Amino acid sequence: MTDQNSTTHFGYKTVAAEQKVSLVANVFHSVAAKYDLMNDLMSLGIHRLWKRFTLDCSGVRPGQQVLDLAGGTGDISALFSKRVGPTGKVVLADINASMLKVGRDKLRDLGLVNNIDYVQANAEALPFADNSFDIISIGFGLRNVTDKDAALRSMFRVLKPGGRLLVLEFSKPEQEWLSKVYDLYSFKLLPAMGQLVANDKESYQYLAESIRMHPDQDTLKAMMQDAGFAEVSYHNLTGGIVALHRGYKF
Amino acid sequence: MLPLLPQLLCAAAEKAIARLITMDPDARPRLARLAGKQLSFRLKEWPITLVLSATSDSILFNQHDEPVDCAIQTDMASLRLLRDPSQLTRLIKADALQIDGDIQVAQQYSGFFQQLDPDWQQSLSRYIGDAGAHKVGHSLAQLQQYLSAKSQALQQMTTELAQDELKLSPGKTEMALFSNAVSELAAQVDVLQQQLLAVQEL
Repeated sequence: MTDQNSTTHFGYKTVAAEQKVSLVANVFHSVAAKYDLMNDLMSLGIHRLWKRFTLDCSGVRPGQQVLDLAGGTGDISALFSKRVGPTGKVVLADINASMLKVGRDKLRDLGLVNNIDYVQANAEALPFADNSFDIISIGFGLRNVTDKDAALRSMFRVLKPGGRLLVLEFSKPEQEWLSKVYDLYSFKLLPAMGQLVANDKESYQYLAESIRMHPDQDTLKAMMQDAGFAEVSYHNLTGGIVALHRGYKF
Repeated sequence: MLPLLPQLLCAAAEKAIARLITMDPDARPRLARLAGKQLSFRLKEWPITLVLSATSDSILFNQHDEPVDCAIQTDMASLRLLRDPSQLTRLIKADALQIDGDIQVAQQYSGFFQQLDPDWQQSLSRYIGDAGAHKVGHSLAQLQQYLSAKSQALQQMTTELAQDELKLSPGKTEMALFSNAVSELAAQVDVLQQQLLAVQEL
């Protein structure tokens, strides 16, 4: 969230709003090559189930148009691509060229080539016409966006009436004890793992900090409602470590 | 139920079916006829809806309650009977089976799974060679025949036992008469007991 002096959070640091984009970009340029491996290690593979849960809540059908925003290495796009079939289309969009390249290579290796487009795009100003998509998903991406309200408004604009937005993001654990264990894990173990596997402690320190600075479940719900989404609800996953928010455009 | 368990099961089922389909060279043409059709399946004892979506090269599994081409709801006891088409009407009348939507989609899915015939020997031969794979395949086929024969014999024996028992066991009318006679006897014993008590008091 930006304040009146155009500053924003980058993890626990306060930086100029225009600086955050390049700082986040540097983080993802740095982690792109080892992103999937680190995801599997950090979550013990559970991120795949969180993504499948997102898919289950999307109600996706053959022939639909799907935007996978901040799609990164393409896990969610792969799931959608198989389900929309040859008559549908998935657009994998990411602001970061390195992540997009890793995602494109991976999906091509999986043989998913016919119904996926790749677009380098900023979530705050999506380069698509109004009412273009049946479903928009953004998985573990919203917390990295500088102006989240602008991004949500932009998503609302490009979503078709009747379409739905799914926001999968780290959130606030429901139980106090889990919160403490999670803090210990995030601030002690995670950066150490980042150093060991990806030789990049700072990026994973940022990951832990950015999760803490991200709006909690109810705040994000209110933000989605302010952007125009109706019937907004959320499901806590793994004790609230992650939450899936869903909203409709009517 | 564990949260995310349905997603785990769906992911595992999807991988297993994809593997089986690649092991059956005739599966893809049959699958092409199903492509784009969705079938949902719900057991009364397990409150999740499993959705099967066919694509040109695989079957995808999901868990949701969105509208599909054909939705089936049944219970665990009736599950085995679904393989026999002649039982369907009886199950529907008994409220043990509910089908909404295009029943042909359900029949097409059922046909696909029944005809799925993975070539295990071909896959196994990559690891243990042609001769070894043939030997294992032959042994398994013999074991399957043996178990099938045993199962049929057991079924036959159980049927005969049940029929013999049926001949010996009393019918409904016989049971009712016996029950009435027992009630009558009990009433007579009560009367006699009362009379004995009365004699004792004299």
